[in-house]
Amino acid sequence: MATSKVEGSSSLRHAFGGVLSVFILFLIGVVAFSIRLFSVIKYESVIHEFDPYFNYRVTQFLSKNGIYDFWNWFDDRTWYPLGRVIGGTVYPGLTLTAGTMWKLANSLNIPLSVETVCVFTAPIFSAFAAWATYLLTKEVKGPGAGITAAAILAMVPSYISRSVAGSYDNEAVAIFALIFTFYLYIKTLNTGSLFYATLNSLAYFYMVCSWGGYTFIINLIPMHVLLCIVTGRYSSRLYIAYAPLVVLGTLLAALVPVVGFNAVMTSEHFGSFLVFIIIHVVALVYYIKGILTPRLFKVATTLVLTVGIAVCAVVVAILVALVASSPTKGWSGRSLSLLDPTYASKYIPIIASVSEHQPPTWPSYFMDINVLAFLVPAGIVACFLPLSDASSFAVLYLVTSVYFSGVMVRLMLVLAPAACIMSGIALSEAFGVLTRSMKFHITKYFECSHTEAPAKLGESTSTESSAPLENMTKSDTTEKPEVARKEKVARRKQKKEKELTENAHVKPVSAKKERRPLVLPLEASIVSVFLLIVLGGLYVLHCVWAAAEAYSAPSIVLTSHSHDGLHVFDDFREAYAWLRHNTEVDDKVASWWDYGYQTTAMANRTVIVDNNTWNNTHIATVGTAMSSPEKAAWEIFNSLDVKYVLVVFGGLVGYPSDDINKFLWMVRIGGGVFPHIKEADYLKDGQYRVDAQATHTMLNCLMYKLSYYRFVETDGKGFDRVRRYEIGKKHFKLTHFEEVFTTHHWMVRIYKLKPQKNRIRGKSRKSKLGSKSTSSKSGGMTHKNPWN
Amino acid sequence: MAKGTNDAQLLIQSLRKAYASTPTSLKIIDLYVVYAVATALIQVAYMAMVGSFPFNSFLSGVLSCVGTAVLAVCLRIQVNKDNKEFKDLPPERAFADFVLCNLVLHLVIMNFLG
Repeated sequence: MATSKVEGSSSLRHAFGGVLSVFILFLIGVVAFSIRLFSVIKYESVIHEFDPYFNYRVTQFLSKNGIYDFWNWFDDRTWYPLGRVIGGTVYPGLTLTAGTMWKLANSLNIPLSVETVCVFTAPIFSAFAAWATYLLTKEVKGPGAGITAAAILAMVPSYISRSVAGSYDNEAVAIFALIFTFYLYIKTLNTGSLFYATLNSLAYFYMVCSWGGYTFIINLIPMHVLLCIVTGRYSSRLYIAYAPLVVLGTLLAALVPVVGFNAVMTSEHFGSFLVFIIIHVVALVYYIKGILTPRLFKVATTLVLTVGIAVCAVVVAILVALVASSPTKGWSGRSLSLLDPTYASKYIPIIASVSEHQPPTWPSYFMDINVLAFLVPAGIVACFLPLSDASSFAVLYLVTSVYFSGVMVRLMLVLAPAACIMSGIALSEAFGVLTRSMKFHITKYFECSHTEAPAKLGESTSTESSAPLENMTKSDTTEKPEVARKEKVARRKQKKEKELTENAHVKPVSAKKERRPLVLPLEASIVSVFLLIVLGGLYVLHCVWAAAEAYSAPSIVLTSHSHDGLHVFDDFREAYAWLRHNTEVDDKVASWWDYGYQTTAMANRTVIVDNNTWNNTHIATVGTAMSSPEKAAWEIFNSLDVKYVLVVFGGLVGYPSDDINKFLWMVRIGGGVFPHIKEADYLKDGQYRVDAQATHTMLNCLMYKLSYYRFVETDGKGFDRVRRYEIGKKHFKLTHFEEVFTTHHWMVRIYKLKPQKNRIRGKSRKSKLGSKSTSSKSGGMTHKNPWN
Repeated sequence: MAKGTNDAQLLIQSLRKAYASTPTSLKIIDLYVVYAVATALIQVAYMAMVGSFPFNSFLSGVLSCVGTAVLAVCLRIQVNKDNKEFKDLPPERAFADFVLCNLVLHLVIMNFLG
C-alpha cells in the first residue's frame, strides 16, 4: 500500500514536473520572441542594415517566381556589367525557410506579406533555438540545466544583436540549425541509434544551406571524435555517431550549389576525412584486439606499425605536396583570416575593412554575454564531474568558440550558445547543491524538533531516498513474471523518477552513498540562493536594456533626441525612393559597396558593386574613381555606363558612418589594384584630414567634391559636425557632375554624370585638371579641323 | 626475418580461426561491406582511366558505395550479440534504422547523380 502510494505520488510529481517544464519552455519561447520586438515597437516593421535587404529581395523573387526560377536566377541588376549568379552564390536556407513560411501562411488564408514574414523570421527561430538549447543541455547534463540554459539563451545580448525582428540575415536560422545539429550529434552519441544519425545528417544539411559557418561544425565534430579516441573513450556509439555523418553530410553539402565540389576539395573539409580514416583504423584495431590473444595482438601491432608508417609517410608527403602547391594551401580567404588573424589586413583589405571582422574589445565581452562571462568557468568545472562524451564536447565547443570570438567580433555569436550551455550547467549545479543543503538542514531541524523520531540525520535523508529505491526493487520483483516490455517501462520510469527527484533538487543516490552529506551551512546557502537570484535578475535587466537600446537600431532609420523632441532621419529611404521614381529603369547607379544591396532592393536600379564583395577589382575600380579628380572619375564611371553617383554624407547632422570616414578604405582598396592611387597622397603628415591643411589630392578628389559641394551654403562656414572642423575647400564648382538630389538632412547626395560635350571649340586642354573642356581661345589657328 | 614471417603466419592463422567463430548473419554483413568497398575501388580505378568529367557522378557513385559500407558496419555493430552496449536494442529496430538511413542516402545519391 505504501509503495503504491509512493509510486502514485512520485508519478504525480513526475506528471506535474513534466507539465511545469513544458509550460516553462513555452514561456521561454515567448520571452525569446518578444525581447526581439523592440525595433518594431520603437520604429516600424522594417528590414534592417544592408545584407538583409539582399535576402529580402531574393525572397521576394522566390515568392513571385517559384523555386525553379530562383535556383537558376542570373541577376543582371548588380555588379554591372558582370552580373551575379544568385542560384550558385547564395546560401538558400534562409530564403527557402521564409518562402516556405510565407507560402504556408498564405495557403491557410492568413494574408501575411513577404516583408512581414521576413521581419519576424528571426524572432521565431530564436524561440526554436532556445528549445534546441534545452534539448542539447538536457543531453549533456540533465533537464534542470536544460531549462536554465534555454532561459539564458533566450535573452543573451550577443544572439539578440543578430536576430532582432528585422535582422533578416543568415544567422537568424543558422544558429538554430547549429544548436540542433549539435543536439542530434550528442543524442546519437548517447544512444547509439542510427535513426538519430540520419536526423543529424539532415540537420547538418540544413546548416550547410543556411550559413557559411557550417565549416565550424564539420571541423568541431571531428576534433571531438579525435579527442574521444585520444582520451580512450572510443566506443561503437562514437563510430555510429560520426561515420554516417561524414558520408551523408559530405554528399548533402555537395548538393548545395554554393558549396558544390568544395565539399571534397577544400582544406576546410579535409579534417573530417582524415578523422574518418582514423576512426576506421581505430575501430579495426579494437575489433582485432577483441578477437586475438594479447600476445598475438602485440605481434600484430609491431607488424602493422612497421608497414603502416612507411605507407603513411608516402601518403602524407603526396598530400602535403598537393596542398602546398596552391597559394592559399587550399583554404578560402575567410577561413585563413580566422586561423591567422593578421592575414586579412595584409592580403585582403576588403575583409579587413568590415567592422564586424575586427577583433572584439574586452568590454564587448561583458556587453554581449554579461554574467555568463564568469559563470562559464564554473560550468567547465561542473562538466568535469563527471566527464562524459557529451560534456567533453561541450567543453571543446566552448574553448574553440572562445578562440574564434577573439579573432572576429562577429563570431561572438557562435560563442553565445556555448556560454549559455556552460552557464546553465553551472547555475543548475549550484542551485542543486544549495537547495540540497537547505533541504538537509531544514529536515534536520524538523527531525530534531520532533524528538519522537529518533532517526539520525544521515538516515533520515537515506530513508527518504531509499523509499524510491525500495520502490524500484519492489517493482522489479513484482513485474518479473510479466513481459519484458513492462520491465523496460519500469526502467524508464526509474530513470524519470531519478530525473524528477533531480528536478526537485534532491539527489537520493549521492545522499545514500555518503553517510556525511556534503552540505553547506544553512545561512550560507540561503544567502547564496538569494544572491544567485539577484545575479539572474541583473542579467535579465542587462539583456532587456541591451535589446532595447543597443541592438534595436534598424540603421536605415535614425533617430536623435533633442530639446524639441524626437527627430527621425529617414534620408536613406527618401533617396532610394527618389531614385526609384525619378530615373529610368535601366539607369546604373554607382556608390560604395555598402549601399549596393539597399539600392537594388529599394530603388530597384542596377548597381556597380554591392555587399557581396566577390570581385575585388571591380570594387577597386569604384574606389579609384572616388579617389580620382573629377575628369578621371568621370572617365571611369562613363566606361561603366554609370548615370548616377550616390554618396552618403553625415557632416550636416553628425552621422559618423558616412563615406568621408570610409574614404581611406576606398583609397586602400583602389590602391591595391591600381598603383597610381597612393594612400600617402591623401594624408597630411600621416593624418587624415579634410580641412585647410589637407593635401591637394584630397581636396580635389571626387569624394571630397561630391560630399562638400555647396556645403558652405548651409551655415556660411562649412563646419563639418562629424570631423569637427571647417572644411578646406569651400567654394568650388563641379564640372563633370551635376547635383540632382540631396536629402532633407543632406545625408544622401545623388549626382548625375554630365553628358560629354558635343562640340569642342578649338584645341581641347586635356592637360589642365578640372577645367572646362572648351577652350576660350577664339580663331582656330590650329591644325585641327575647325568643324569638329 | 624468419621469426617475422613465422609470426605473421601464426597471426593470420589465429585471425582466421577467431573470425570463423562469428555467426553467419554477421559474416553476410561483412561480405556485403567487402563487396561495397570493392565496387568503390573499381569506380576509382575507372575514374583514373577515363578521367573525372562528370565529377558529381563520380562522387555520388563512390560515396554511395562508401556510405552503404559504413551503414552496414553500423548495422553489424548494433546486431552483434557480443556488443554489450546494444544488448536491449531489438535487431528489427536496428535493421529498420539501417533501411531508413539507406533510403535517405540513396535519395541524395539519385539527386546528385546528374
